[in-house]
Amino acid sequence: MPSEAPIVSCRGLKKRYRTGAVETVALNGVDLDIAPGDFATLAGPSGSGKTTLLNLIGGLDTPSEGEVVVDGVRLGELGKNALTDLRLRKIGFVFQAYNLIPVLSAVENVEFILQLQGVAPAERRARATAALKEVGLEGMEDRRPGFLSGGQQQRVAVARALVSRPSIVLADEPTANLDSKTAGELIDLMARLNAEAGASFLISTHDARVIARSRRHIELTDGRVTSDSAAAREPA
Amino acid sequence: MLAALAWRNLWRRKIRTWLSVASMAFATALLVFMLSFQLGSYATMKANALRLFEGFARIEPAGYTDDPDVRRMIADPEAAAAAARKVPGVSAAAPRAAAYVILANGERSYGAALDGVDPAREPRVSTLSATIRQGRYLKEGDDDAIVLGDALARDLGLKLGDRVTVLGSAADQTVAADSLRLVGVFHTGLGDVDRQVAEMPLARFQDTFAMYGAANVVVLGGESLGEVTRALPAVRAALGDKSLKVQDWGALMPGLKQAITLDFSTSMFWYASLVVVVAFIILNTLIMSALERTREFGMLLALGMRAEKIAGMMWLEMLFLAVMGAGAGIAVGGAATLWFEGHGIAIAGLEGLMAQWGLPGRIYPTLSAVSALSGPLAIVASVALGGLIPYGRVRALKPVAAMRAA
Ligand SMILES: Nc1ncnc2c1ncn2[C@@H]1O[C@H](COP(=O)(O)OP(=O)(O)O)[C@@H](O)[C@H]1O
Ligand SMILES: [Mg+2]
Repeated sequence: MPSEAPIVSCRGLKKRYRTGAVETVALNGVDLDIAPGDFATLAGPSGSGKTTLLNLIGGLDTPSEGEVVVDGVRLGELGKNALTDLRLRKIGFVFQAYNLIPVLSAVENVEFILQLQGVAPAERRARATAALKEVGLEGMEDRRPGFLSGGQQQRVAVARALVSRPSIVLADEPTANLDSKTAGELIDLMARLNAEAGASFLISTHDARVIARSRRHIELTDGRVTSDSAAAREPA
Repeated sequence: MLAALAWRNLWRRKIRTWLSVASMAFATALLVFMLSFQLGSYATMKANALRLFEGFARIEPAGYTDDPDVRRMIADPEAAAAAARKVPGVSAAAPRAAAYVILANGERSYGAALDGVDPAREPRVSTLSATIRQGRYLKEGDDDAIVLGDALARDLGLKLGDRVTVLGSAADQTVAADSLRLVGVFHTGLGDVDRQVAEMPLARFQDTFAMYGAANVVVLGGESLGEVTRALPAVRAALGDKSLKVQDWGALMPGLKQAITLDFSTSMFWYASLVVVVAFIILNTLIMSALERTREFGMLLALGMRAEKIAGMMWLEMLFLAVMGAGAGIAVGGAATLWFEGHGIAIAGLEGLMAQWGLPGRIYPTLSAVSALSGPLAIVASVALGGLIPYGRVRALKPVAAMRAA
């Protein structure tokens, strides 16, 4: 594994936000590599910069300093549309809430990504149906998000994140709105898909039980990586 | 799927969407009906006014419109009439001679516009013959006959069968004088016509005024004003005598044309205001819905949907809304127009423009492609154009900011 090129590589990442006269330093020099197949959790107190870090890695926002490389592509060199296309092809997102398009059914939500990618309709439908089956939602394909439980909605989001076969899935507190049993099931699901599909996962969370299931654990405090279980195993 | 998505998004707020569609439909229907009504009443006005006396168009010597002197003549009116009749769309061509004269009965005398008309052909270009109140209209074989407007006959104190003296200036500069017998009195309802117009047989007119078979104008008639007007270039080309002019209705009745133009431009202002108001209603709906969905747009951006595509989806939503509203409006407005096109609308006590130009008591709106489509198209176009505002806003969205939006 150490010999493989990382899927994500962050160097000297800083992110400052300015609100009026107040400047917040959300990230203060983050160096981090995510290897192919990693199943990593990112923990830290509220405000420590987890969401900011995921957003920078996912190309949703640009760093104030430093650089993000995803699958060999320097994000800083991409324009707006190229960045959007990179998200479409290489990154799967699972957010805490408001993940799904409310007017589309479960299977249409999953298909949507494939359609943006230009996949032909028949293949689209087949892959989306298979992805929903993978996350245990067989038979619920035609339900709209409003007719699914919170846990089921997050499963649809996971299916959608994986259906395009991304390099990495970024999940920002995906279990925060779920009860602990459902949360555990979702994490088990992600861990299984990580093992089967081989996509890397980076999951931000507060949940100790989620952390317990991860294979790699990263701690963020005040915008810095303060501990990384991978670094402990393989000193840089 | 973009269209499907846009369509479903439209129905997320059913009541709001219905209200927008309804207000658009209402405005569109109003536009269709009003425009049909207006164009219909213009058409009625023009046709009635022109049919009564002036005719849909006429052939005349150069300069005649500005100075209708009896000495400006068409030497061979029959040749001009025959040439015009051959043009499709022109179904009647009647030569006329005209002079300002003094009509006298004993002590009383009044100025009048006296026309020499061909009794056989004149009724095909003018409805004056149908407005006879007493006696009869001129007929073939009449010689010393004359018909007068009822006010003129009253002013002169004439009864049917009485003789009236005509005094004028003949084409050869000599005095034209004649004595004619009153055979009919007409009432058109148009003050000027009833007070000033007189008609006599063309042949006798030509003798009295030393015209030797010439006429002053050839009046053209046909199925409809539009048909005749469209035929005029061909008439022009068909005329052997190139010094002759062919005048359309606007030249014959410049006052009517001006009145219509003025009336139409005033109402255009109101129509435009209506279009703008409706466009704002639709735009408002859309901007509200865009604001509500900012967070969702952020999610779509994050997933990899390009901002232009999201904006395009919004634009499509608005276009659906506009087309639905316009479609419903055309259907309702068109149906209402068609019904009134059959039944007419009674106009009670309408003074001014309409009465002045001899409109009947009923107006028949006419549904045409122009009246049915120009209003709705203007609305759809301005909505599509106004939609560029939310389009631009959505295009400028940044994913993180959008997802953090309340
Ligand atoms: N768009 C923003 N504008 C201003 N401040 C922000 C913005 N996003 C995050 N922050 C601030 O940056 C810090 C880190 O935030 P965040 O990355 O959301 O932390 P976490 O996800 O760990 O709770 C916080 O202090 C937060 O208030
Ligand atoms: Mg966060």
